[in-house]
Amino acid sequence: MNYPVWELTTLGGGFLIALISVIHVYIAHFAVGGGLFLVLTERKAYAENSSAMLEYTKKHAKFFLLLTMVAGGVTGVGIWFIISLLSPAGTSILIHNFVFAWATEWVFFLAEIVALFIYFYTFNRLDKEKHLLIGWLYFAFAWLSLFVINGVIDFMLAPGNWLHTHNFWDGFFNPLFWPSLFFRTFIAFILASLFGLVTATFLKDSTARQKMVRYCVKWLPIPFLLMLVCAYWYFNSIPDAPREIVLNVSPELARYLNWFLYLTPIVFLVALFLAIKLPGSVQRVVSLALLLIGLMYMGSFEFIREGARRPFVIYDVLYSNSILKANAEEINKKGLIKTAKWIKYKQITPENELVVGQKIFQLLCASCHSIGGPLNDILPLTKKFNSVFGMDSQLNGLGKINNYMPLFFGTPKERWALAKYIVEGLHGGEDKQLAQKPKELPYEIPPYDQEKDEYVLLAWNNLGMHCISDSDPYWILLPPANDLYAQLIRRGELPEIVTEGVELRYQVQAGFENPSKHVRFWEFSKSLLGKELPPNIGVSGNGLSGTMKLEEDLGAFVADLVPVVPYPDDGSFNPYPLFTIEAVDKKTGEVLATTRIVAPTSTEMGCKNCHGGKWRVAGVAGFTAETALDILKVHDRINKTNLFEKAKKGQPMLCQSCHPDPVLGTKGKPGIPNFPAAIHGWHANYLTDRGTEACFNCHPSSPTGPTQCLRGVHKQVGLDCTSCHGYLEDHALSLLLHEQKQGKKVDKLMRYLKPRKVATVEEINPRLPWLNEPDCLNCHQDFQKPASKNVSGFNTWTKDAKELYRLRTDQVGLMCESCHGSTHANYPAQNVFGRNRDNIPPLQYQGTNLPIGANKNCKLCHTIDMEDMEDEAHHENMLRNFRNMQLISTGK
Amino acid sequence: MNVMLGSGIIALVNSIKDAQKTPPLAKDISLKLPYAIALTINFGVAPFLFLQVLYGHFIYVSSVLMAIYWLSIVGLLILLYYSAYIYDFKFDVLKGTKIFFIAITVILALIIAFLFTNNMTLMLVPARWTTYFHNPSGTILNLTEPTLWPRYLHFVTASIAVGGLFVAFIWSRKKDHPQAKQNINQGLQWFTYATIAQILIGFWFLLSLPQHIMLKFMGGSTLYTGIFFLALGAAILTLTFGFKRKILPAIVSTLLTITLMVLIRSFVRTSYLKPYFSMNALKVTFQYSPLIVFLIALSLGLVIIVYMLKIARQTKKEV
Repeated sequence: MNYPVWELTTLGGGFLIALISVIHVYIAHFAVGGGLFLVLTERKAYAENSSAMLEYTKKHAKFFLLLTMVAGGVTGVGIWFIISLLSPAGTSILIHNFVFAWATEWVFFLAEIVALFIYFYTFNRLDKEKHLLIGWLYFAFAWLSLFVINGVIDFMLAPGNWLHTHNFWDGFFNPLFWPSLFFRTFIAFILASLFGLVTATFLKDSTARQKMVRYCVKWLPIPFLLMLVCAYWYFNSIPDAPREIVLNVSPELARYLNWFLYLTPIVFLVALFLAIKLPGSVQRVVSLALLLIGLMYMGSFEFIREGARRPFVIYDVLYSNSILKANAEEINKKGLIKTAKWIKYKQITPENELVVGQKIFQLLCASCHSIGGPLNDILPLTKKFNSVFGMDSQLNGLGKINNYMPLFFGTPKERWALAKYIVEGLHGGEDKQLAQKPKELPYEIPPYDQEKDEYVLLAWNNLGMHCISDSDPYWILLPPANDLYAQLIRRGELPEIVTEGVELRYQVQAGFENPSKHVRFWEFSKSLLGKELPPNIGVSGNGLSGTMKLEEDLGAFVADLVPVVPYPDDGSFNPYPLFTIEAVDKKTGEVLATTRIVAPTSTEMGCKNCHGGKWRVAGVAGFTAETALDILKVHDRINKTNLFEKAKKGQPMLCQSCHPDPVLGTKGKPGIPNFPAAIHGWHANYLTDRGTEACFNCHPSSPTGPTQCLRGVHKQVGLDCTSCHGYLEDHALSLLLHEQKQGKKVDKLMRYLKPRKVATVEEINPRLPWLNEPDCLNCHQDFQKPASKNVSGFNTWTKDAKELYRLRTDQVGLMCESCHGSTHANYPAQNVFGRNRDNIPPLQYQGTNLPIGANKNCKLCHTIDMEDMEDEAHHENMLRNFRNMQLISTGK
Repeated sequence: MNVMLGSGIIALVNSIKDAQKTPPLAKDISLKLPYAIALTINFGVAPFLFLQVLYGHFIYVSSVLMAIYWLSIVGLLILLYYSAYIYDFKFDVLKGTKIFFIAITVILALIIAFLFTNNMTLMLVPARWTTYFHNPSGTILNLTEPTLWPRYLHFVTASIAVGGLFVAFIWSRKKDHPQAKQNINQGLQWFTYATIAQILIGFWFLLSLPQHIMLKFMGGSTLYTGIFFLALGAAILTLTFGFKRKILPAIVSTLLTITLMVLIRSFVRTSYLKPYFSMNALKVTFQYSPLIVFLIALSLGLVIIVYMLKIARQTKKEV
C-alpha cells in the first residue's frame, strides 16, 4: 500500500521471482553440497593415488566455480532485486527484522568467495592437507550461509512464537528451522551428485568417465534416503493450517505435490540407470536430462513451500498481495484507493471505473496472477464470469471458505470496479443473449353462475415460487414437479367440503403435454432418482393429466409432483402453464365444477450468472452443459467428489442423494449438511451485504426477470424476499445453525457470515428448511393488519409442517391457500404474463382478484346474506373490507 | 568497483592499442578481474542491505519506477562476469577477439553504473516520482536530473583514477619485470589525468546540485563546507603524490579522499531527503544479541580469511 506497483501482465504473478529463485536455489544448494563433494573426492583421489580422479576434481572445481560464483552468486543478489521490486513491503519486513542475520550471512558469503578462489587457483599448488583444509572451510562457510538463510525463509511460512514476541531468535529458530535445514542439506548432497554426473559424463577418457560416473551415482542413495526422511519430518512440522492448504485446499499446490511425489523415484532411477555402462553420448544426454529433472524436483518443492504460506507471504502478518493483516480492517473501512498511496484516483466515477479497476487488479491480484502469462493466468480463471455481478460475487467470497487466497480488501464499490475491469477490460464485456420478453398470454376464465351453480371448486398450486433444474444430464436439485391442490365446496346455508362421491381431474393446457420433448430428465431418471420413470410421468406416478387423490387430513384433493416444465411446444419460455381442474360426479359422470390455475415452474435459475455458460432456452432460462458442469467442477474441487467424471459417464446425481432435504424426503449421507443449508451457506459467503439481488440472482424472483415469481399481494404492497426470510446472511445462518447443532461441520461456511436482521449469530433461531418457515402470524398477529411496515417475518418459525401456510387449514377445514392463493402469489397477485393469470379462481367466482370471500362476500359459498354475521368462523378478523383496494381488478 | 571498472577500461584501451600482442598489463588485469568482480558484488551487498534498512521506502520506490532497467542489472552482471572469465581463461588462446570480451565487460559495467546513478538520484527526488502515474511499467529513467551526468562521470572518472593507481601499485610490486616501469608510468598517468579531470567534473557536479544544497558546501553549513574543503585538499594532495610517483602515499590519500567523499555524499543525500525523512523518524527495536552474533561471526570470519590468505601465499609451482 505504501509502494507503487510495477505493472506487469504476461510476466506478472510472481513469474520473475519464481524464475530467478528457482535457478538460484538450485545452484545455491549445489554450491553447498558440491563443496563437500569436492573435498571428499579430492581426498579419495589422494588416498587412491588416482591422478584421473584428481584431474576430474580439478575440472569439476572449475565448473563449480564458474557456475556457483557467477550464476549462483549474481542470481542471489537478483532475488533481492526482484523481491524488492515485486514485494517491497515483505522485503522490508525481512530486512528490518533480520538485518543482522543478513549481515552475518554476508560474512559467510565473503569467506566463501575467498575460500573458493583459493581452492580453485591453488589446486595442485598447495600441500594436500592445506588444500583440503581450504576445501573444508569453503564447505563450512557455504553450509553456514544455508544455515542463516534457511532461518529466514522458514520464518515466512511458520513464524511461530515470533508473532507474539517479535524476538529475533523466535523468528529465526522457528518450528521449521531444523527439519528444513537438514532437508536442504541432504538436497544439497543430492545435487552434488547430479552435477557431478554432468561433469563426469563429459570426461573424454572412457575408463575415467565410467569410474567417475559410478562414483557420482554412489553419492546418491544415502542423502536421498535421508532427504526423504527429512521431507516427512519437514512436512509434519508445518503448522496445521498451512499444511491443510497444501493437502486439501489449493488445487495448484496439489499439482506441485504430485510432481514432487512422482519425480522422487524418477530422479533416483534415472541416476541408477547412469551406473550402467553406456556410450558417452548417451550418458551425457541422460545426465543433462537428469539435471533438468532435478531442477523440476527442487522447483516443485519450492513452489509447495511458497504456496503453503497462502494467503500470506509472511504467515499471519502480510498477505500475498502485500497487505498487512493489521491494516485490513482499516482498508475495508476507508477504502483501498484512499489508503493506497500510489493510486491517483481517490473517488470512483463512471468515467474512471475501469481504470481504477485495473489499478486495483495490479494492487491486489497481480502479485500472484499474470495476465496471459505462465503463472496463475487470470484469464482462464475468470473466463467463465460473463457478468460483472458474477465476478463481483466471486471476489466477494474470495478467501472465505477456501482460504488460500486473501479476502478482498476494500469497499463494495471498489470490488465492483475490479470485477468490471476483469469482465470488461480483460474479457471484452458481458455476454448478452437475445432474450424473450414476458408478454401477456391469453387465458380463459371458466364460467360460474352465482345463482345456479351448486359447487365452488377452489384450486391452487402448492409451490408458489418454484424452480426446477433442467440440468438433467449432469445433476438436478429439483425434478420437474409441482403440486396441485383443490377443495370442492357444496354451496348452501351451511356449505360442505365435499370429499366423497366425486372425482377431481386435472389437465395441463395444450402445448405442455410432453415435457420429455423439452428436458432430458426421463433419460436420466434412473441415475438421478434410482428408478426408471416412463416419459412424462413424475416421481409419484402422476402425469400431465389425471386424477387427484384425496388427502383426508387436509380435506383436499392433491396431484403431487406433476412433472410440468416451463417449455411449451412452440419453443418459448412460459413458467406459468395453466391446469384445468374439474370435479366430476363419480356416479353420473356429470361435471360439477371447473376451474383453472397456474402451476408455476421456472428454470430461471441464475447459476450461470457466476458459473458461466448461457441460458439454454429463449435467452432467458434453462441450463447449458457449460453452467451445469462448472458447478460440478467447483463441487469436486472443494469437496473432493468426482461428480464431473460421473456426469460425463452419464451418471448424473440428485444433489439431495447426499445432502438430506425434507422437501424431497431424502436422508442423504451422514455428516453432510442438508441441501438448503449447504447451498445457501456456501453462496451467502459470495453474496454478502446485498438486498434481494442476492435472492433473485438464483431464484426466479427478479423484478425485471422473465419469471417475476414474487407476484402476490405482499409484493404489491412493497415487501420483498427479505421481509419474511431475512437477508441472505440471516437466512443462511438460520439454516446452518440447525446443522451445526446436529454436529455437522459447517463452521467453515459460517466464519465470515454476519447476521443483518439481528445483532448476533446467537440471536438467530435455527431452523430446518421447508418445515420451520416464517409464519404469516408473525406479522399478522391475531390476523390483524401488521403493526407497522417495519415488522419482520424473520426469526420466528413454524414448528412443523402442520403450521405451514401451504398446509394449514382454518377453523372449519378450508385450507388457507384455497382462499388466499399460493405462497408468493397470494390474491390479489399480479403476473407478468398477464395481470390476473394467477387470480383465475377469484375472478371466476367473484369477478375480482381479491381473496375468496373478501369484502364479506360470504354469499359465495353460504348462499345467504351473512353481512350481519358476527361469528368469524374461518379465522379472526375476517369480517371486514379488504385493506388494499387499490389492487383490485375485475379482469376486464 | 573502482578497481574493477577502472582496470577494465585500462585493459580495454591497452588491448585496442596493441591488439595483436598480448600486453602483460592487460594479461595481468585479466587475471585479477574475476576477483575484483566477485569482491565488488560482495562488498556491494552490504551497503545495499543497509541502504534498504535505512532508506527502503525511497530506494524501493525508485527501483519500482525503473524496474525493468533495475532488474536488467542482474542479467547484465552475469554476462559481464562470464565475459570477464572468458577474457581471463582464454586470454592466450583468443588473440584479437579477446578485445570483444573485455569490451563487453567494460561496456556492461558502464551501463550498470549508469543505471545505478539513475536509481541513486531518482530515490532522492520524490517530487519526480509522480511520473509513475503516467508510466507504471517500470521504464522510467531519471534523465531530467541535472546532476545525473556529472554524477555519473564523477564516479566513472574516479574508477579510472583508482584503476590507474591499482595498476601502478601492482607493477610496483613486480619491479624485476621488464615492463614494470613502463606499466607503473602508465598506471600513474591514468591516475593523475583522471584525477585532474575529476576535480573539474567534481565542480560541475557541485554546481549541478540544487542551489540550497550546493550553498551548504559553500559556507552555508560549517560542517559541510569544512568537510568539502578537507576533501578537496585531500584530492589535491593525492594528485601531488601521483605526480611525485609516490604510490603508497597516493593510495593512503586516495582512501582518505574517498572516505571524505562518502561523507559528502551522505550529506547530499540527507539534504535532498530532508523535506521527507529524517533518520530520527525510524522506529528502532533494540535487541542486541543478533548484533553480537554478527560481530562474533565477522571477527571469526575475518580471522579465518586472513588465515586462508596466509595459506594461499604458500603456493608453489604446479605439481
